[in-house]
Formats: sequence, structure tokens, C-alpha cells
Amino acid sequence: MVIPLLLMLLAVLVYPMGSSLWVSFENYRLTALHARHFVGLANYAKIPRDARFWNAMGNTLVFVSTAVFLEFVLGFALALLLHRRVRMRNFFRSVLLTPMFITPVAVGLIFRFMLNSEFGIIPYILKTIGIEVDFFATSPLALFSIVFIDVWQWTPFMMLLLLAGLESLPREPFEAARVDGASAWFTFRRVTFPLMRPVIVVAVIIRMLDAFKVFEYLYVITRGGPGNSTESIMYYIYRVGFRFFRMGEAAAMSYVLALIILLLVFLEFQLLRRARST
Amino acid sequence: MTRKGLHAVMIHGLLFLALIVVVFPYFWMLLTSIKPYWLITAPNVWIFRPVLDNWREVLFESKLPLYLLNSLIVGGIVSVISVGVGSLAAYSFSRFNTGGTPARFAILAAQMLPPVVLVISIFLMMYHLRLLKTYAGIIVAHLSFILPLVTWFLIGFFDEVPRELEEQAMVDGYTRFQAFYKVGLPNVRAGAAAAGCFWFVLSWNDFFYALILTGGPTKTLPVAVAGFWTFRGIEMGQMAAAIIVAIVPVVTASFFVQKHLVKGLGGGVKY
Repeated sequence: MVIPLLLMLLAVLVYPMGSSLWVSFENYRLTALHARHFVGLANYAKIPRDARFWNAMGNTLVFVSTAVFLEFVLGFALALLLHRRVRMRNFFRSVLLTPMFITPVAVGLIFRFMLNSEFGIIPYILKTIGIEVDFFATSPLALFSIVFIDVWQWTPFMMLLLLAGLESLPREPFEAARVDGASAWFTFRRVTFPLMRPVIVVAVIIRMLDAFKVFEYLYVITRGGPGNSTESIMYYIYRVGFRFFRMGEAAAMSYVLALIILLLVFLEFQLLRRARST
Repeated sequence: MTRKGLHAVMIHGLLFLALIVVVFPYFWMLLTSIKPYWLITAPNVWIFRPVLDNWREVLFESKLPLYLLNSLIVGGIVSVISVGVGSLAAYSFSRFNTGGTPARFAILAAQMLPPVVLVISIFLMMYHLRLLKTYAGIIVAHLSFILPLVTWFLIGFFDEVPRELEEQAMVDGYTRFQAFYKVGLPNVRAGAAAAGCFWFVLSWNDFFYALILTGGPTKTLPVAVAGFWTFRGIEMGQMAAAIIVAIVPVVTASFFVQKHLVKGLGGGVKY
């Protein structure tokens, strides 16, 4: 009964993975198909000296770490608020979760429109209190505007996972803490947080893997600019592969990216294991 | 006011603030879509006589309905194949523990793969088969990430169906396949249907694969929506209407799937 699945995965997953690995060892340009030939590790050898690759990687790491951190803090706060007996709890939860279901392209365009320096509502409101900013025009700010958009869309996801985690915690430790007269802050720090650690690690890993793929916001808003200051790694590889049609190099870069992601996940699983044993 | 009362007010206040942050963009898009064109770049105007020009333009005079249909077709085909193939495999993982825990996790490992790895070879495959800008490429690409997820969710659902039900059915003369088809499957139907909405949403929302593998008449909705700002100059009102068209079905679906989503994500593993 597993055979149809295996065959299917072979066709849509394993074969494409193998074939792009093969392409990564070739000089393969769509613009010069007749000149296609095997070049060994040459495509990989170019990467360490490719400043633009490392710039994009740096942007992505800054983006992933700030976005996921903010989403975690806000998501945890919202989950804690909703975990209480709140009036209209289901209503709040359902509406607060909606952003994560929207196509990121639409989210990007909505905020490109709302943050536009000439006719956006948000700069307009800021202007009335004397602040004038152009969210996508200057270098560090543009990247953080993208972070802000990501936080709007994906904090709900964090909230969803953490809320599920909170609801599955055992009750006894909390009752014990209450009987001992522990303060709310103490209970959070010494009971809630340690018990939640495995859920937190899983939520952060899932979100991190996804944040590495950031592409849509850049495609519809900054196109990587100003300069290359918001170019993410996915966007750069997309450019190399599908704008410059250098398939071999793009394939090599995507495998390097896969390795880096694998390494990060491995490190986080080590953290998880340590969290479990304590 | 008592301390407790103050506390409750504060909590509701914070939640309400979050609610406004989430809902305001929707409201603003709706407002923009019914503004006359000369007011669209005037953020200070909130009260005006609404017009439906943008909506008429988008729904009846643009190709957006075609792109919407494309998204429905792709999502539909992907969901049907995934559920068909995934439920068989998930049943086997759940009942016979095929491959043990490593196999369950191997299914998910594919989720870590950056989409660029796959899209390069799927693109080249379709290029050489002359199948670019057909549904073929996009369906293959979507199956690559939805099929493993479907299987993962369904394992969790099957794990919750008591084995005794099927054993009883087999004592009564059902074959294993009949037990799966007539007893196991109906028992996971509710969860699977809700999760199905979610997979459909994933396919519906995908932009990266769709951008590279579709085009012309097979464009999906997100690709079409992205085109509103980039190529046609600025047609903000129509863009707002198109965005709402892309949002409403998924947000509606989200209200049905939320409850099951948490359960499904926990899926194939028991902590």
C-alpha cells in the first residue's frame, strides 16, 4: 500500500533532487545549451568568492533571526493571553490566525501599498505626528520593513503552535505553584517556560525553515534593492537561474543552501535533546 | 475597580489592539477597491461615494477569473492525487508500522529542502519536454511538498481510529482493503476533509513554483495578482479587488480547518 506513494515521491522528489545535483556539476546555461558539459566542482568552487552570494546569505540570516525572534516573542505573548479564560476567545483566535492563510504575494502588495511614501496610509499617519520615513528607500530600514511584514503574516502561526503546546501541558505543576504562593512571573519563568521548551524549539525550527524561503515580499516590493541590501538567498538563486539562466551555478548554490539549512536544523535538534534531558 | 477587573480589561485591551493590527489591512484594501480612481492615492479620504468600477473591471473585463480557475484546477488535482496516494500509505504506516519511526520522519525531511533545488530540475524537465506553461510542471512541483504533508497528517488521523473496528469487520468477512476502504477511511473523513482544505490553501497560495513553471493562460492567481503592480503601471483599485478575490476563499476555509490543523501538525508522532 506504500508503493504508490514511493513511486510518486520517486518521480516528484527523488528524481528532481538527483537531476539537479547532476546539473550542479555541469556548465549548463539555457542560453548556450550546445555548450553543456561536465565541469566537476567548478560551480561550487566559485561560491566562496561570490560576494553577492554571501551578501544575500547575510541578509537572509539577519532577516530570519530578527523575524523569527519577534514572531516568537509576540506569538508567545498572544498565546498566553488567549490561554486564559477570555471572553470571545474563539472569535479572537480565529481572526488573529487569518494572516497565515493568505498568499504572501498579496500580503506583500498590501503592505507595499500601505507603506508607500507618497500615498500609503501608514506614512500618512506618521506624518501627522511629525515622523517622515520612506520604508523601502534606505539600506537597513528596507530589510526591517520586510521583517515587519513577515512578522504580521507569521506571528499567528507561532501563536497557533504555542497555544496548542500550552493547552497540552499537565496541570499539576501549576497547581503546586499556586499552592506555594508563587508569583505569576515566577510561575512563568520556572514552570511554564521549561515545560514549553520542546514545543518552542519545534515551533522555532518550523518557522525558521520557512523564513529561509523568503521570496515573495522581495519579488513584489523591493526586487532586492536598494542596491542588494534586501536580496535574500532564494531571490539571488532565482536570479542566477531564471534571469541569467545559469542553471549549473544556481543548482550548486541551492545545494549549498540546503547544506547550511541542514546544519542549522541539526544544531537546533541538539538543543532540543538537551532541553528534553533536563 | 477591583484588581481582577483591571486585569481583564488590560487583557482584552491588548487582544483588541492585536485584532486591529490584523484587521486594518483587510479593511483598507476593501476601502481602496471601492474608491473612485482619483481618490486612491489620497489616504486622508475615508468618506466618499463608493464605486464598483474596479470590481466590474476585475471580474468581468480582466482575465482574473481564468487565473482563478487555474488555481482551482491545480489545487483540485493536487489534492485528489495526494489524498488518494497518501491515505493508502498513511494507513499502512499507521497499521503495520511500515518502516518504523524513521520512515515517518523521512516523509517530513523533504520539507527542509529549499524549493530552488527542485524547481531547477522540474523547470529543465518541462523545458525539454516542451511542457512549460502547462499544468504539468506546477502539479509535479506542488505534489513534491503537499504529498509528504498529506501523508503525515493522515498517519496521525489513522492512529486515532481504534484497530478493533477494522478487526471486527475482517472477522465479519471483509478483506484488508475493504476494511481500509469501508471502515478506516470513513472514520478519518472529518479530519481529512478539514486538512484537505489546508493542502488546497498551500497549493492556492504558492507563488515561487507558479512563477517559474506557469505562464500565459496557465498562470495561477498569485502570479496574476503580482502582475498588477509590476507590468501594468499602477492600477491600485483593481489590484485591491484582485487581492480580496485571492484572500476571501482561503480565509473562509481557514475558519473550518483551524481546529484540525493543530492536531494534524502533531500528526504521525506521539510525544
